[in-house]
Amino acid sequence: MIMLNQRSKYLQIAFNRSLDEVKGMIATLPASEKIIIEAGTPLIKRYGKKGITALKDWWEEKLQKPGYIVADLKCMDRGAREVETVAEAGASAATCLGLAPIETINEFIRECEKAGIDSMVDMMNVEFPFEILQKLKKLPAVVVLHRGVDENEKNREKQIPLDQIHRIKGTYGKVLISVAGGETTRDVVRTFFNDSDIAVIWRSFYEAPENTAQLAQDFLKLVK
Amino acid sequence: MQIQNNKNKFNPFSLVIIVLFIAFSINPILGGVLIVAIIFFLVKNPKSLTTYFSNYLQMTSKLQNTLTENNPDIPKELSTNAQPITPANIFNVLSKKVRLEKRKKYLHVALNSTLEEAGEIISQLPASDRILIEAGTPLIKIYGTEAISRIKTLAPAGAYIVADNKCTDLAAREVKMMANAGANASTCLGVAPIETIDSFIEECQKFNIDSMIDMMNVENALSVLKKLKKLPDVVMLHRGVDETELSTEKQIPFYQIKQIKGNYDVLVAVAGGDTIREAQRAIFNDADIVVVWKNFYQSSAETAKLAESFLQEIK
Repeated sequence: MIMLNQRSKYLQIAFNRSLDEVKGMIATLPASEKIIIEAGTPLIKRYGKKGITALKDWWEEKLQKPGYIVADLKCMDRGAREVETVAEAGASAATCLGLAPIETINEFIRECEKAGIDSMVDMMNVEFPFEILQKLKKLPAVVVLHRGVDENEKNREKQIPLDQIHRIKGTYGKVLISVAGGETTRDVVRTFFNDSDIAVIWRSFYEAPENTAQLAQDFLKLVK
Repeated sequence: MQIQNNKNKFNPFSLVIIVLFIAFSINPILGGVLIVAIIFFLVKNPKSLTTYFSNYLQMTSKLQNTLTENNPDIPKELSTNAQPITPANIFNVLSKKVRLEKRKKYLHVALNSTLEEAGEIISQLPASDRILIEAGTPLIKIYGTEAISRIKTLAPAGAYIVADNKCTDLAAREVKMMANAGANASTCLGVAPIETIDSFIEECQKFNIDSMIDMMNVENALSVLKKLKKLPDVVMLHRGVDETELSTEKQIPFYQIKQIKGNYDVLVAVAGGDTIREAQRAIFNDADIVVVWKNFYQSSAETAKLAESFLQEIK
């Protein structure tokens, strides 16, 4: 199983278009190990686990070796069952909602370790990610700080709590931090500057799939 | 056989078209008048149309059955379950507008494990408009929207299908996907950002499907409802499976049902456990919809039996 390197920075690109289009988009990506491919929630709900397997196969073909695939499950209940399914489909990591019951998150993290994949806890709409982390039996591999798309569009005041990154890393040294919800190159620069390990982007790729190659190269320059 | 007979039979539709054609060639105004007359006739006697459509629909449902027969994933006996379509429910089937009614009590059967098992349970369920069939979250995440369209094919024609997609973001896209796959209702998490829930309810209304808000892990459902711009059609109160298994103290908040219904004009769904006693308790506490699912140690016949006794004992 491929695991993330603590020292490296990563660019995570979420794919949400139809499988046909995604295939073309992945083919034009630069073959870089710093790119993480994400099967977005809408894509999973549309195609199920075969969507994840397809993304994994295409990315492997491009990289010429197995790549890192995130299944954005947004697990809310039945942690064990969902993790089993996506691990089987070939994902290297799965996400669980920080809003889920603590029992579910615990079960999710345990099950991820058992299946040998990274666990990511998505803190969308969680006011104090710290409170959730404190209650957990074990730490997840990655904490995702996230602004939802719907909230972003309708309410510009809410911000990604970048100041939380240092606090979380200071307290729990081992976890990686991923930041989702920014879209411009400026957002990405700021994210890395604030010490996050992974920057998640999707909208510019979703809106202009024909520019995938150019966009990916622009963003990759920011990932040191 | 029936379809072949129809071919040889005299067809009034072709007669109408020939008469229209002749009328138009004599005088266009006469043709126009005739069209208006036909529309008037159809509006007065809609039943003359439904017999046509019912033939057509029986044909299409038969086609779907032959598809399932060829599919190794689905057990054979399922295909015998298709209900004959009566003119009464024909418009519902055509317009996909099956919505929940305020006065009825419903049983909501959640299907969570595999499509094969889903088919097994569906084939044993009694046919009733008071039974809602849910494509559970695991099924949607495994099979995608195909889970919904498959369950819709397996279920009796006109059955009410709930897509438990547990939307947390990008509500517009998810609702569209679920509605296009044939769902009559879609679910959204109560813990999701308020902007998402608002946009979810709005989209559901646009696609004419019922919106259900799942209040899992929400401490006070009322405080979420208060913040919304529009009310959802259904509020679901329940405990997650993981929570229930791992910590038994947490209980279904029955007392919240009356609170919600007292303040808002919505239907309330609660998880009902797996016996008819528990279902009765939920209804007694004023729930409109009781959600049940098959536990892995149960046989699907037991779930079907529960559904039958629900229909008999709870009116």
